[in-house]
Amino acid sequence: MANDYAQPDVLVSTGWLDEHRGDTANIRIVESDEDVLLYDTGHIPEAVKIDWVNDLNDTVVRDYIGPEQFAALCSRHGIGDDTTVVFYGDKNNWWACYALWVFKLYGHKDCRILDGGRAKWMAENRPMTTDVPTYPEANYTARPQDSSIRAFRDEVLEHIRNKQPLVDVRSPEEFSGERTHMVDYPQEAVLRGGHIPGAKSVPWAKACNEDATFKSRADLEALYQTEQGLSPNDDVVAYCRIGERSSHTWFVLTYLLGFDRVRNYDGSWTEWGNAVGLPIEKGA
Amino acid sequence: MTKLEEIGASFRSVDTDLRLQLLLDYANKLPAVPERLRAAEQDHRVHECMTPLFLWIEPAEEDRLRLYIDVAEEAPTIRGIAGVLVRALDNAPKRDFEALPDDLIATLGLQQVLRMNRAVGVAALVGRIRRAAA
Repeated sequence: MANDYAQPDVLVSTGWLDEHRGDTANIRIVESDEDVLLYDTGHIPEAVKIDWVNDLNDTVVRDYIGPEQFAALCSRHGIGDDTTVVFYGDKNNWWACYALWVFKLYGHKDCRILDGGRAKWMAENRPMTTDVPTYPEANYTARPQDSSIRAFRDEVLEHIRNKQPLVDVRSPEEFSGERTHMVDYPQEAVLRGGHIPGAKSVPWAKACNEDATFKSRADLEALYQTEQGLSPNDDVVAYCRIGERSSHTWFVLTYLLGFDRVRNYDGSWTEWGNAVGLPIEKGA
Repeated sequence: MTKLEEIGASFRSVDTDLRLQLLLDYANKLPAVPERLRAAEQDHRVHECMTPLFLWIEPAEEDRLRLYIDVAEEAPTIRGIAGVLVRALDNAPKRDFEALPDDLIATLGLQQVLRMNRAVGVAALVGRIRRAAA
């Protein structure tokens, strides 16, 4: 697939995946959706399901699963250290990017996104099945978290004191403080509305076309660099409400535009807007 | 035991994976809404649900009520919840509607696997059904 993204290989096309999906010794396809049952209604024949609540989050502490649990998850799905993992999902690959970010957090080398995701695959009438494939258990090496792609609250506070850029990827209404959640997603209660001081508002889905594929590099440069004045050498922190929408923007800035240092603040607004004494800015 | 309590017990008697499979069965078996109702669909939307969801309650014989719910196939989880509600309540006596529990997700033993935002949507759906039946 011809594209001029900073790391062009990180995206695979539906045609490429259809051709290579049988290579299950080297490639594992992972479906990650917002709806926990969507995979079960039909999925790419070779794909396994990784659910962000039930597989990637710790059930007690607000955090991701630890390195050992992550290694066990990969091993169970036949994912080895060198397996190419192709993620796809619903809603413009929103959850697919989130799963990819967690894989990168644990240092998985070869991670890719199916450009256009589940929507494009289905629109092209490519094969789907409800049969769940199983693969021989792999032996995955547990590695510590890569802290270079994850920002914590105190680091974000330091970041704004140093006047470094932040991208708020929530809706304009959440950014201004008019709402504390997305339209149609009344949930995760937050006590205060608004945004982290100095953050730029770029709703995450602006990076996608109507058919759920990513916008061209030129369009993405216009969106983040020309309009918002971000530069590829900036140290950027992206956040949303719980860190999932911002992992999509993290993916775009890191791999499609080649920014050097982008971190996802997964504590995001549900942490910031509930914490005592942190600075908040309101208005558009 | 109401029909809903029976369904809840059948969910809770199996492990989490099977509970999700059961929910998917209910999603697949949600009956289609009669054509005549679809015309004024927007008036019947439950806005608290993240997925477009439409709800109708109509009187039937002997103090019983009919319940119809329409949800997109791309939203199997909430469709499954709708399937459970329709199976439990369609053509049931009004008192069964009034006895609908606030914590339907817990009744089905799904609190561990569904996101919190589902709980808000489902609670709104339950509240709407109880009010519409009252």
